[in-house]
Amino acid sequence: MKKEKIKNGLMLFAFFFKIGCFTFGGGWSILAQMEQEFVDKKKLITKEELLDMVAVGKSVPGIMITNISMLFGYYVGGWFGGVCAVLGMTCPAVLILSFVTAFYKVLKSNVWCYAALRGIRCAVVPIMGSAALSLGKEAFRKKMAVPICAVALVLCVFTDISNVLMIVAGIILALSVRAVKKAKGGQMA
Amino acid sequence: MIYLRLFAAFMKIGFTSFGGMSMIPVIMQEMKVNQWMTAEDLTNLIAIAEMTPGPLGINCATFAGMQTAGVLGGIASVMGVLMPAYTLTLGVAVCFAKFRGNDIMSCMLDVIKPICIAMILAVILNLMQENYFPNARIDWFGCGIGIVMFYLILKRNWSVPKVITLAAVLGMVGYGVLGMA
Repeated sequence: MKKEKIKNGLMLFAFFFKIGCFTFGGGWSILAQMEQEFVDKKKLITKEELLDMVAVGKSVPGIMITNISMLFGYYVGGWFGGVCAVLGMTCPAVLILSFVTAFYKVLKSNVWCYAALRGIRCAVVPIMGSAALSLGKEAFRKKMAVPICAVALVLCVFTDISNVLMIVAGIILALSVRAVKKAKGGQMA
Repeated sequence: MIYLRLFAAFMKIGFTSFGGMSMIPVIMQEMKVNQWMTAEDLTNLIAIAEMTPGPLGINCATFAGMQTAGVLGGIASVMGVLMPAYTLTLGVAVCFAKFRGNDIMSCMLDVIKPICIAMILAVILNLMQENYFPNARIDWFGCGIGIVMFYLILKRNWSVPKVITLAAVLGMVGYGVLGMA
C-alpha cells in the first residue's frame, strides 16, 4: 500500500474518531462538522459533492452516518479510507457504551439510579414520538405513504408479523409497482 | 454460537432500517424473539443510547450485544450492524457517479419509510403501556413527566440530552424522595 494512502486513512480515522466522541443527536450535527472541516478548511470536496453523498447515504440501508463516512472515506482514500472512516466513527461509541454497560447492573440496583432511570423511561416515549413526527413530515409528502403506514400499523399491532418480513414485503411491492409502471410507460411510447 | 447469532441478528437489523429511531422496532423484536433482553432493559437501552455520544444505531448495538454476551458480543453486534456500510455502501461508493441518477433506491425508500414509521408507532404504543400503565395501574406521575417532556421537545425545541437530564431529576424526586409508586 502506498504511503499516502495510509496517511489519508489515519487522517480519516482520527477525524471521525474525534467527531464520534462529542456528537450528540446523531447524523445532522456530524454533517455540519464534516462540512466545516472538509469543505471550508481542507477543501477536499465541494459542498455539492457532500450533499450528493448525503442523498446517497440516506437511501442505502443501514446507519446513515456510517454510510456517509464510507462514501466520503472512499472518495478521499479508496476502500482503505472508507474502512478507516467507518471504524473511526464507530470506535468512540463502542468504547463509551462498553463503559456504561459495565456499570449498568450496578446502576440499576442503586435505588436513586433506579428512580432516575424510571423518570427517564417516561421521557423515552415523547422522544420517540417527536422522531416519528419529524420522519412523518418528510415521508408523508408522498400520497401513498399514509395508507402504507396505516396498513403496516394495523399489522404491527394486531398480528405477530416480523418487522424484517414486513420491510422485505414492502421492498418487493415497491419494485413490482415500479416495474409495472415502467412497462406501461413503454407501451405508450 | 451466541456471537454469530448476535452478528446475524444485527446484520438483519442493519439491512432493514435506515438508521436512527427506525432501528429500534427491529432491535426490540430481535431481542424479544431471542429472549436476550427484558422490556425494561430495552427502554433503558433507548435512553442510554440517546444519552451517550455517537450514532444511535451503533450505541444500541453495543449495549444490546454487551448485555447479552459481554465485550465480544458487543463487537460482534457492531460488526453486524456495520455490514451494510461495508458491503452495499462500499459498492455504491465504487460506482457513485452512476448511482446518483438511479431511482430504484428512492422508490424503495418511499415504501420503507412509512412502514418504519408504523413500526415506531407500534413500539410507542407498547412502551406507553409499559411505562405509564405498569401492572394495570395508571402511573400519574409518569404520565405527567411524559406530557411535560413532549411539550418541551415539540414547542420549546429542547435537545434530547437536556430532556433526559430533567426526566432523571424528576424521576429521582418523584420516585425516590416522594416515594410515588
